[in-house]
This record gives sequence, C-alpha cells and structure tokens, in this order.
Amino acid sequence: MPKKKMICPRCGAEMNNHAEKISYETAEGNRNPDAVFGGVVDEIHTCPGCANVESRAAG
Amino acid sequence: MESGRPIFIPVILGTTRKGRMSEHVANFMAREIAKQENVRTALIDIRNIPFPTDDAGEHIKDAGFSETAMKADAFVIVAPEYNHGYPGFLKHALDTNLKEYIHKAVGICGVSAGPFGGTRVIENLLPVMRELGLVAIFWDVNFSAVQNAFDEKGKLLDEAYVKRAEKFIKELVWMAKVLRYGRENVELS
Repeated sequence: MPKKKMICPRCGAEMNNHAEKISYETAEGNRNPDAVFGGVVDEIHTCPGCANVESRAAG
Repeated sequence: MESGRPIFIPVILGTTRKGRMSEHVANFMAREIAKQENVRTALIDIRNIPFPTDDAGEHIKDAGFSETAMKADAFVIVAPEYNHGYPGFLKHALDTNLKEYIHKAVGICGVSAGPFGGTRVIENLLPVMRELGLVAIFWDVNFSAVQNAFDEKGKLLDEAYVKRAEKFIKELVWMAKVLRYGRENVELS
C-alpha cells in the first residue's frame, strides 16, 4: 500500500519523501528502535512549494 | 527544469577564535557567491549563535540557524585547521541540525597559516558531512598562508583566489540545483 503523502504544514503543498535517515542517539530512546536497524528510522520530506523540511517516523 | 527560486548558499564561518583570519575568507567567499546570477547568500558567524555548552545535538537548536539551514540549498563551510582538526565549536554548531541538511550540497574552504591550506581539516570534515546527509563537492578552496592572502582589513592580496573560488562556486551551484530538484521531485522508491 502506498504511503500517505505528508502535507506541508507551512503552505499546504504535498511534500516529497526523498530520504530515510537512521539515528542511534541515546536521547531517541523514548521512541521504539527499529528491530532490524537497531535505531530510529525517520523519513525526510521536502516541500516543493516552500522548501520546508519535515520528518516523521518511517512506517 | 530549473525552479525560478534563487539558489541560497549561506557561508558558515566556522571559528569563534579572536583574531581569526577565516573571517576575511568567509567575507570574500560571500562576495564571490553574491556575484552569481540567481544565487543568494548570507554569512553565518557561529560566534553570534548562543549555543549552550552544557548540552549538544538537536536538543539545543537555535531557531534562526535552523531556519537558515532549512532554506539553504547548499553550504560553504570556512574551516580553519587547528592542530590538524576542525574547531570544536564548528562541530558543536553543525550537530544541532540534521533534517535541515539532508541531500544538500556542501563545499569546504580550508584555512591555514601554513602551506597546506587546510587540506587536513577538509579531509577530517568529509566523514562528518556524509553523516549529516550533506553531499560534498570535489572542489575545495585552500587558503594557504592566509595571513599573506589578505591584509588586516580583509582586502584580498592574491587575485588567484578569485578564479579558484569561481570554479568551486560553479560546481557547488550545479550540485545545489540538482539536489534541489531531487529533494522536491524524486521520491525515495
């Protein structure tokens, strides 16, 4: 099933998911680490309308 | 197809040390970037960002610095070489952002009082750039014997740096355009 597009909270445009980044920071410990990668994986989204950048946990 | 929005390339002055010659380098690079058509720049002086030193990382984001980083399409980092490494406060500042850097271009200007033009600080910074999600270009500008490259008021004394900076900036702008297109249009499959 295709992922739901993130909507830019600044301008309302549909954002583009162009990266996933893993973080091993201990301060991220309150989030569930990915069982395969051992850290927290975030999606990075950029807005083509206003260049805003947002992230969310990868599903 | 190119976006009509100007490419934004801030210059990060990567040292807080008093008497820093890197300030002349950063000002020079900002002037050269500003000469490019449809390219904007700004000088980020890490000395002016009030980062706490009793914590580190994204928990101590500075709203202004993060907003500038988010708007950037590429970065120029002016890094003096201190004991063969980069200034600790530069790393402290860079570490406060992450998503703001991902898939953006970076070029590094090395600065040294000696003959090697900061080659060692550039090599030391490259793995950091990679982990921050930045894409390093293959042109550097090496300011060797920087005390001879500028006078005390920051006037450039060696015109060869103009051509060197031009090659570096052209490559950086190309990379910035390509990566902006990718960030905004090419979806992770």
